[in-house]
Parts: sequence; C-alpha cells; structure tokens
Amino acid sequence: MSIRLLKYAFIEDHAEPRFFNTPADLKDAYDVVIIGAGGHGLATAYYLATEHGISNVAVLDQSYIGGGNTGRNTTIVRSNYLTPEGVKFYDASVGLFKSLSEELDLNIFYSERGHFTLAHSDATLRTARWRAEVNKHYGVDSEVVGPDDILKACPDIRIDCGGNHEILGALYHAPGAVARHDAVAWGYARRASQAGVEIHQHTKVTGIDVVADRVVGVTTSRGKIRANQVISAVAGFTPTVLSMVGLTSPIEIFPLQACVTEPIKPWLDTIIVSGSLHLYVSQSSRGEMVMGASLDPMELHSKRSTFEFVSNLSDQMLDMFPFLSQIKVNRQWAGMADMTPDFAPVMGTTPIEGFYIDAGWGTWGFKATPISGKTMAATVANRRDHELITGFNLSRFGDYQLVGEKGAAAIGH
Amino acid sequence: MKYVDFPNLGRRPASEFIVAGVVDPEPAELDGISPGAWVFDRQSLPMQRLEWWYHTPSQLWFTVKRDTASDEILNATLAGEKTGD
Repeated sequence: MSIRLLKYAFIEDHAEPRFFNTPADLKDAYDVVIIGAGGHGLATAYYLATEHGISNVAVLDQSYIGGGNTGRNTTIVRSNYLTPEGVKFYDASVGLFKSLSEELDLNIFYSERGHFTLAHSDATLRTARWRAEVNKHYGVDSEVVGPDDILKACPDIRIDCGGNHEILGALYHAPGAVARHDAVAWGYARRASQAGVEIHQHTKVTGIDVVADRVVGVTTSRGKIRANQVISAVAGFTPTVLSMVGLTSPIEIFPLQACVTEPIKPWLDTIIVSGSLHLYVSQSSRGEMVMGASLDPMELHSKRSTFEFVSNLSDQMLDMFPFLSQIKVNRQWAGMADMTPDFAPVMGTTPIEGFYIDAGWGTWGFKATPISGKTMAATVANRRDHELITGFNLSRFGDYQLVGEKGAAAIGH
Repeated sequence: MKYVDFPNLGRRPASEFIVAGVVDPEPAELDGISPGAWVFDRQSLPMQRLEWWYHTPSQLWFTVKRDTASDEILNATLAGEKTGD
C-alpha cells in the first residue's frame, strides 16, 4: 500500500475536490459560447483561457461532458495521413498528446503502441507507399513493412487471413498510440474550469440569434445568453446547429459502431487496422479488445447499436485472429459521425460573423482533440483562421478546393 | 448482416442495396445558387425524406421514403411509377 493511500485512510476529510465547479445559473452574457462539451469544445475553452486570456466562456452541452463521440471512439491517435494539410495538422496533435498528461496534471494513459495499416492487395500497398513518402517528407515516422515485420510485432496474427485475403504488407507508423478518451475530456474540463470557464451540462441550445449576419447570442433550454462569438463543436448534431444560423454544409450523419470484449491476458501490443476487412483493433490497458468496424451503410441520426454490426465484425476478426472465438463481447455502442465528402474536417470561420465551426470530424476526431482546440481558440481570438486550418474552411466546397483524405481513412467507407 | 424490410421485395440483406442519396430534383431557377453548394451541400437532418435505392440482384431502381431518425422505410415505389404520396 502506498504511503499516500495510507495517509488518506487516516484523514477526516475525504472529499476529493470536484473536477469542475460551475455556478448553478447561466450568466446573461459571455465573451464566447461553445456548444458541445466534448474533447474539442473543452480543449478550445482551455486554450482560449490559458493562451488568449479569454476566460469569460461558457461551454454548453445538451447532455454530460464527453458523452458524445469523445467517449465513443476507439481512442487511437496517429498522424500518418495522406495530404500535406492532414499530415501537418495531425502531427501537431500527436506532439501535443505526448505532453498532455503533464499539461493537464491527469494521467491520460497515453501509450505508444505502433500502428499497422494492413494491405491485402497491391492497390492498398501502393497507397501505403504513397502515404509513407508524404509522411517522411513532413518528418512523420512511417514506413511500408512486409509480413515478417508484422509477424514479429504480432505473432498471433494469421497472415493468410483464412486464405481469402492474404496480408501482403502494411504501413507501419511507430508513434501510433492509444489514450484514455474520458481523461482527455475531464482533464481539459478541470483545467478550463480552474481558468474561469463555466461548463453547463444539460443545457441544450435551441437557437442561435443572428442579426445582419452577425451572431448576437444563443437561446438555450435554460434561457437566453448574449454572446458575440459562438463555436459549434457538436459532431453528429452539426447540421442541426448550422440550420439555426441558416448555413448549409456537405456534412452527412452516419452511425459508427464499436465494441469491447471481456478483459483477457495481454497479447496484442500494437494497433492493427485493416481497411479491406473493415476492422481496427487494439487491447486496452485493462485487457479488453477494443474493436471498431466501418460506418453503417446509410445515413441515420441514431446512437442505436446493432447485432448485425457485432456479427459482421466478429466474422472479419476471426479470419485474422481465430483463437478469439471464445471471447465474449462485453459492451457495444454507436456514435453519430459527421462525414464530409473529402474525409477532412470543416473548421474555422463561416460567412456568419462570430460563428465558428469545428465539425466534419467523421471517424477521425479524437486524435485531433488538442490541436483542434488550440487552432480553434487562436481562430476565435484573432477572428481569422489559424494557418494550420485554412485548408479546412467551409468555403472549400464552394471553391472546389477539397482536401482528398479518403485514402488515409482507417476504415472502409 | 443488416436486413431491410423492403415493402416490394420482403426482408432482404442491406448489402443488396445501394442507397444513392436523396431525391433532389434540379430547381427550376438556378440563378442565385452557387455551383459548389448545389454539388456538395446536403440537408442531413433527422426527418422523413425520399431517397434513391438501387437493388443490385434485380437491377431495379426505387424511390424510398425513409425516416432518417428511426431507419424505418415508409414506402417504396419502383422508379418511373407514380409515387404513393
């Protein structure tokens, strides 16, 4: 037993300080209102308060913090993207993730595992080589490896995958990592709250007040708030929020499902991804297999999880790891992914002055949490897009300047 | 495997269908609509809407009225026939 725990047992006052203390009532006005208390919204609030001195900020959520896609992803962090915009952006995010436990004074269990994107065909191997070259050019550790290297890192994998789709090689990305996603949200919430930010849970935004193309406030389930700057960071609810200010976007909502098994003895050190088999898997620090698959086949605004998903996923998993056949699935869930046509996010300023958007995070949002917070905070403070996100502006669709990130999406679409 | 209760065809595997997006007729007046918005923008809200569905085994196109919040198919009409509503 540690000394700290022993001392703790003998003190009278057991109350741990709460992670964030927010007054019961909303103020009449804030400098900035952030809709959505997920990782992105809370990180934005944290960097606004700590780097830009804007702490009169309210983060509103219709439910509880980190209860949307922040708590529904499979916690993978990587930066082996395909486009220069994507590689630079996600690499900055990985850099921030590495020191996030110290910065937030909370262990986010950031664990570098190495990340294999398996190639089952020549075409996939070709994209892997392309990605490796782009990555190396921008200083990201990424290389194409053969079946022997995969077997060395993961001796239990079946290279012939049951004979139907043999593994020919993989894109190996050594900095690929997993982190505890709830800790990221709660850590940012605590730090932001300490800096003066208010976090109001169970406060649903029902309207955004716009006068002459300028934001003047928001209407919530608990009354009206005045604010000249409003950020939408709501993932699957983005089209709904955009419709409040009369904007349209190419974002479409598809459910993305995931599940975990019962905890088993540690056997998988790395993260294994196969776009062809619609599968990604890692083992959590508790020993659970954390697994995800592809998007549901059609647009749907629902967080309902289905048996079809688990049966499809198991089918593919057992091709690669037949010995898992006796392992039970413990939990499954779904999140609403806001998909864009070019598989890149939509960030920054909009045609409505004072209204900013952090959306289009589809299936790749968790790994961008720190950098999207940092760049969105800078965008709001300076009222113009941060240099890392200029390529992700909503106007790129009207200008036909799409980013083209589909080749680097981890999962089948 | 996801199955779909399809009014005209019965219970079929979802993989037999290609959902080709919303039925979105070209507006009579194109002035004032930016080409980019016309190509890319979507109304992805929870609602009942009409979609194009292609059934690969029978090579038939349908227009399907579906609720995008509950995933319920309300009706399906063979393309070219008069819609039910």
